[in-house]
Amino acid sequence: MDIHSSLAAEQYAATRPITAPKPVSDGQGAEIDFAKFATEFANTLQNSENVAKAAMTGDADPHALVQALAQTELAIETAVTVRDKVVEAYQEILRMPV
Amino acid sequence: MSDLMQTLAASASGMKAQAARLRHVSENIANADTPGYRRKTTPFETMVEAGRTTGMVRAGNVQLDKSELPSVFDPGHPMADESGHYQGSNVDMVIEIADAREAQRSYEANLKMFDQARQMSTSLLDLLRR
Repeated sequence: MDIHSSLAAEQYAATRPITAPKPVSDGQGAEIDFAKFATEFANTLQNSENVAKAAMTGDADPHALVQALAQTELAIETAVTVRDKVVEAYQEILRMPV
Repeated sequence: MSDLMQTLAASASGMKAQAARLRHVSENIANADTPGYRRKTTPFETMVEAGRTTGMVRAGNVQLDKSELPSVFDPGHPMADESGHYQGSNVDMVIEIADAREAQRSYEANLKMFDQARQMSTSLLDLLRR
């Protein structure tokens, strides 16, 4: 069925990459800041992937690869640490005796 | 981009420039016996992006050492003139070795800066983890 395939394509188009943040049009200050951070994080990952691919085919020099991987490592560590903090705070609230 | 990320980028550019310099030194040494070869020198220049200096460095266009080529006496050489001399290369092994060692030390310094910036970022994150 033709209609099904076009619907599926629409669904795929609607599904953003998992690391991409939602576009913030009228959010608060903190929301915009967090969206910026998430966008930067996604860009860092994307850049690292591209550089790694280029290095595998011999287009990028090893220095660029090492720099991109170090940046990505730090970005992921930052994201993981922030996530851990947020989850910890949430669990703290859950454990609160009411 | 944060300062530490810029440090990473600057150190990586420095390492890349020193690698280019070492390549030119190796080319000079490889051509030390080539008649008429002029040794290559590597100029370093600050990278400019959108009219502003970024603090990163790169190896610029190769320049040739314009000093006089030495006259080597070898009557059996195919390029020898009537007096039995031909023009050799102006590569001095001692200068090249010193240049290579300097490139190595500079590379190590950039490597240390790279590692330092990474360690500082990691320590900052460790602080957040407690």
